[in-house]
Amino acid sequence: MKKRTSIIFGLLFAVIVIGGLLSTFLLGRGEGTVAVISVDGEVLERIDLSKVRKPYDIDISTEYGHNTVHVEKGAISVSEADCPDKVCMYQGRLTGSGIPIICMPHRLVIEIEGGDIDA
Amino acid sequence: MPKTRKLTLMALLTAIALTVFVIENQIPAPVPVPGVKLGLANIVTLITMKLLGKREAGAVLLVRVLMGSMFAGSPSTLLFSAAGGLLAYLVMCLTAGVFEENQLWIVSALAGVAHNAGQLAACVFVVKTPGVFAYAPVLAASGVITGVFTGLAAQYLLKALKKTKF
Repeated sequence: MKKRTSIIFGLLFAVIVIGGLLSTFLLGRGEGTVAVISVDGEVLERIDLSKVRKPYDIDISTEYGHNTVHVEKGAISVSEADCPDKVCMYQGRLTGSGIPIICMPHRLVIEIEGGDIDA
Repeated sequence: MPKTRKLTLMALLTAIALTVFVIENQIPAPVPVPGVKLGLANIVTLITMKLLGKREAGAVLLVRVLMGSMFAGSPSTLLFSAAGGLLAYLVMCLTAGVFEENQLWIVSALAGVAHNAGQLAACVFVVKTPGVFAYAPVLAASGVITGVFTGLAAQYLLKALKKTKF
């Protein structure tokens, strides 16, 4: 009985891990070109990445902290942040909709809108 | 167990949990996903629950979360770890009696998922952007992985502690 529950839960956990990673992989490939930068739920910038000709940087400074957002054709990323964890920088370039870049300490979210969300 | 011994043990466990928490915070995240961490301090919560009881584990967790964000974080860290910690604690309390001693990894994995769910909910509440829920699948996966790891660690630690007639 005891061994049985262990096996059942082991399988359940394996399904969660594989399913979670797989769906994240699929989710991150949504189409869409409009990037939305928001802090605290308020939209600060809305940029159509397909219309960007020359790469440029945007400074986002709020009461929570400072981030530099790098905008280029078809991609957006955080190039600098004064938060301690720098997770937003390590998240790299966002090229499609699905999974947003978050900087939790600064309440900054960068999403790409549109495309098929249900992947 | 005498009252003084219990109090001393709780203080000791809280100090260990805090130290582990602060040290883990200094290590950069292994994967670029916000909210993913090993949660090593969870080992102490599990051990406390098994050695002393549920209420004692709750007390150790509460003090660790409060002091942890004082030492190594910001007010937002407090909200995230409180939301995650509380949910994980509730799941631990509900499941700790159901499974046996060497199934602690199951309890821990369930608690890990609960922790990440609480943290994600707090995050969505803070940034007010529902799109952040896209992190749910990967956080569920990481909750299981780190939960099994810390659960096994707690399990072997308990075994070793009992051998020493702790």
